[in-house]
Amino acid sequence: MEQIGNMIGWETVKMVVGLVGVLIFVVFNALILTWAERKVAGHMQRRIGPKEVGPYGLIQPIADALKLLGKEILTPRDVDKPLYYLAPMIIFVPVLVSFIVIPFSASLLVMDINVGILVILAFSSLSVFSILMAGWGSNNKYALIGAIRSIAQNIAYEIPLLLSLLPIIMMTNSFSLKTIVEAQNGLWFVVYQPLAFLIYFIAAVAETNRTPFDLPEAESELVAGYHTEYSGMRFALFFLAEYTNIFIVSAIAVTFFLGGYQGPFLPGIVWFLLKSYSLVFVIMWLRWTFPRVRFDQLLNISWKALIPLAFINLLVTGGLLKL
Amino acid sequence: MNVGEIIFLITVVVTLGGAAMAVLSGSIVYAMMGLVTTMFGIAGLYIYLESPFLSMMQILIYVGAVSVLIAFAVMLIGPLYRKPKEWTTIGKFAAALGVALVSLFMFVRFVMETFPRAVTPSFKITTKEIGRLLLNDLVLPFELISLLLVVAILGAIMLALFSRGNK
Repeated sequence: MEQIGNMIGWETVKMVVGLVGVLIFVVFNALILTWAERKVAGHMQRRIGPKEVGPYGLIQPIADALKLLGKEILTPRDVDKPLYYLAPMIIFVPVLVSFIVIPFSASLLVMDINVGILVILAFSSLSVFSILMAGWGSNNKYALIGAIRSIAQNIAYEIPLLLSLLPIIMMTNSFSLKTIVEAQNGLWFVVYQPLAFLIYFIAAVAETNRTPFDLPEAESELVAGYHTEYSGMRFALFFLAEYTNIFIVSAIAVTFFLGGYQGPFLPGIVWFLLKSYSLVFVIMWLRWTFPRVRFDQLLNISWKALIPLAFINLLVTGGLLKL
Repeated sequence: MNVGEIIFLITVVVTLGGAAMAVLSGSIVYAMMGLVTTMFGIAGLYIYLESPFLSMMQILIYVGAVSVLIAFAVMLIGPLYRKPKEWTTIGKFAAALGVALVSLFMFVRFVMETFPRAVTPSFKITTKEIGRLLLNDLVLPFELISLLLVVAILGAIMLALFSRGNK
């Protein structure tokens, strides 16, 4: 009790400032990524993407945001109201919690918790419940099928995701993201753990429901999946969460495997953002070059390839550490 | 009342509210959401007891794994619009009596006895300490639990295979 009492003071001020900063960053990040996605998509298909609003179409996402804000918030008649209203709010909890522990630079992080990575992994499962609530509450068969697919996918890919991060935790003896970054002062962990990095990246793309693993919202089969019945700002919240999640998985990959904020000459935050957005670009690149996998293929990749490989990797790492 | 006490009270209300929702709501989806709420409340209580690792594990395992599996099972069962079978009055009383007795014994046996001790933890609970205990002092129960889980998994696989063969 005293501990929480003492926290009110300097720590609280830092926390509040940090959370406001996180909110600004989330919105800014989503605006940039929606623009970048359309530009990347355009150039990959030999188009030029948005170009009318502002230079290089840079103001386009703001125009889109204003359009979404101005729309009437429709609620279909037969939805399960509490679940339908709560879903877009709950999908934002894991997003905000994750930002609290991610170290943007040596000094720029809201809170260095000694179980940092567990916080992110634990709360990330809440997004499944949000998808389930949206799918169930919408009272729509496409939304429900999307939600079911999402749950199956999440169960399958959460395991390799955890298993691929465990070797790093074993090597550094710490759950704190800052300690893990500091441990990569010499060589990045991707050199020691290339297999773990690959497994993590595949699982992360699947966890964020991106093509080639975007079965929960496959537009050619399911209209829009779990957010079929959402419109206006509620739909925008799902969208915002999706783009923030892409950034978060990239940021974790950078923190665990690519040296985090460490790099020569430039300040830490620049390196961190540079590395993270390069990975975000790779994820977008994947979306526009690979076709969607079939559902049985999706589950087989995880259960028959990624999980056994991750286990072998974990065993070998543990053995080598104790040699 | 200081801030710590208010936070504690909120956590307790969330835990109990979730539990009440899980028991009282007629819909299985709402019951599951209530369960998830309770699990978060319990995780909050662990943080209050200064064991953040246990708290995160609570969320990771009970929300991330167990509740997601329950959600998956809910999606696989039959039509959800069908009302569940009503309990008879005698059945209700019998169930309530059973639960009440077990909770009373648990409360008297464990909570009353260990409560004064819980105020001052004898050692600092770190992940290192938990790992050391699990692989030294508690290695036999730990291994037995893993054996139990392996047997349960094998049993589930066999059941699934048999039901497929019968079709």
